[in-house]
This record gives sequence, C-alpha cells and structure tokens, in this order.
Amino acid sequence: MPEAAMKSIIGKSVTKSKVVIERGPVSNFAAAVCDSDPVYRDLEAAREAGFDAIPVPPTFPFVMSNWGHFPENQPVDLPSGNPLDELLGPLMAKGGIILHGEQEFEYHRPVVVGDVLTGESIIIDTYTKESKGRTMTFVVTETVWKDDTTGEPILTSRFKFFHRS
Amino acid sequence: MLEKALHIEDVNEGDEAPVKSHLLTRTDFVRYAGASGDYNPIHHDETFATAAGQPSVFGHGMFSMGLLGTALTDYVGPGRLTRFRARFARPTWPGEELRTKIVVKAKRVEHRKHMVDMDCSLVNSEGEVKVVGEATAHFPGRA
Repeated sequence: MPEAAMKSIIGKSVTKSKVVIERGPVSNFAAAVCDSDPVYRDLEAAREAGFDAIPVPPTFPFVMSNWGHFPENQPVDLPSGNPLDELLGPLMAKGGIILHGEQEFEYHRPVVVGDVLTGESIIIDTYTKESKGRTMTFVVTETVWKDDTTGEPILTSRFKFFHRS
Repeated sequence: MLEKALHIEDVNEGDEAPVKSHLLTRTDFVRYAGASGDYNPIHHDETFATAAGQPSVFGHGMFSMGLLGTALTDYVGPGRLTRFRARFARPTWPGEELRTKIVVKAKRVEHRKHMVDMDCSLVNSEGEVKVVGEATAHFPGRA
C-alpha cells in the first residue's frame, strides 16, 4: 500500500463493542497468568482489599471482548468494514507474519466484575520500517473503554502490532 | 490483604520488587490460549509453528506481559496501577525460565496522589531480555 493510502486510514474506526465483565472468565484468566491472589476469585477477599466487586488482572482488558460479548446488546452504529483489511490483506497474501510489538494500558479506575463497558478502536498510527532486508509495517490502535451507564472513561488501551515480510 | 499493603513510606527509589520466576511449558500456552481466547496456532500447534519456520511453538506476548502484571500487582496491590506498558523484544520458548525484574524509578505527587514509577522487565536465566516495560501505581500514605 502506498505511503499516502497508508496514512489515510489513520483516525478511522476499526471496531466498536459492548462487553460485560463476568466472574468466571476473570478468575480463569488470573490462573492463566499465574496469579493466585484470592481477590480475583472471592468477593470477600475483594471487599477486604477495598473493592465493591472482584477486580480484573491488569492485562485482562486486552482479551475482555472475547468474553461477555453478546450479539443482542452490541452498538447499532458499528463501523462498516475494517480499514485494516485493506492494509493487511495484500500483505498477508504475500506471506510473512503479524506480531505484537507493544501494549499499553492507562487505568482511569479499576475494571471490576459487573462492569458494562463500551469501547471503540481507532487507528492512531501506521508506518513502515526496513530491518535486515525485510519490510515491517506497523499499526497502532487505541481503544477507549467507557462505562456504558455513565459514559466515564475507564481504560485506554494502545495496541501496536506489525507485519513482517 | 490490607494489613500487608504497601504505603508510600515503605517504598524508595531503587527498591526492587520480589522476583517471580516461572518455568515455561506448552501447557502455559494452552491455558493462556483458552483463558484469553487467542487461538493463534503459532502458540500451541507445533506442526503449524515448524511449517512457519519457527523452531517450536512460542509464548503469547500477552502471556509474558500477564506474568509481569502478576508480579506488579503482587508488589503494589491489585487496583493500584494507573499505567502499564510493555514492548515485546524477543519470543519466549518452552523450557525457558522467565524472571521478573521490577525496580522503583521515582516517587512523585500527581493531583495530590502519591505515585510510584517503575521499570519492569522479563528475562530468561541467561539474562536475555524478553519484555521491557514501565508501570505507574498510586500508593496510599500512612497518615
């Protein structure tokens, strides 16, 4: 994809979704990242630690849309098509792999079980870099997750990935 | 939980959090795939991974970041992180022993809250760096 076309997708929306934070997936996820803290499993332990409900491990927000994502309550104004397909489709057709380069979270308040969050992912940067004779195509997306009831921003997630030819 | 929670007075620049070490297995990748919903076969299907030119399956970057997250919250307490960033420098392989390293970089006050900035990384037993990152947490004062 030419440079100008690549830059033209900056600012475009990739996905929008509503997610319900559920206890089972949170506890399972804690076990998967080797975290045995009862705060992620037991409401009493969570209350003793000062929470009203069970909190989530710090990296759970990266995967939360794979759980508690139900077709009946998704936003109606979904973006039409994914601009990343235009960029990554032709690259993947020629081979290579997609790798996760960097991840960042900003926590405005803890995410807890029972939260209903709405998030929209926007492409905030795209660029290419040459390394050892291979082209690396970078994409950064930013997702701001808001409390579905109050509209208050809860979490910002920045996801940088790249295609390596 | 509360009585062992750290206060800002307990933390100083240069302090290191307890090291968390973990011997990586293919079962870790499978458990993480199931719990995260990330079923990219490069992380669990040896046939697929070797056909793609990799020596074996390798770990999800987010599993590594998750291990660091566990070491961070063990140290500062759950719900206290305000920022957590990681760069995935190298893949992780089954059989490697990964160790977390968390060092307090600075203490400061922001919006009348005590903040602690930390450098964090995940390295194998040969000292090869897998993940490099930074985190910030807010801490209560004792007063």
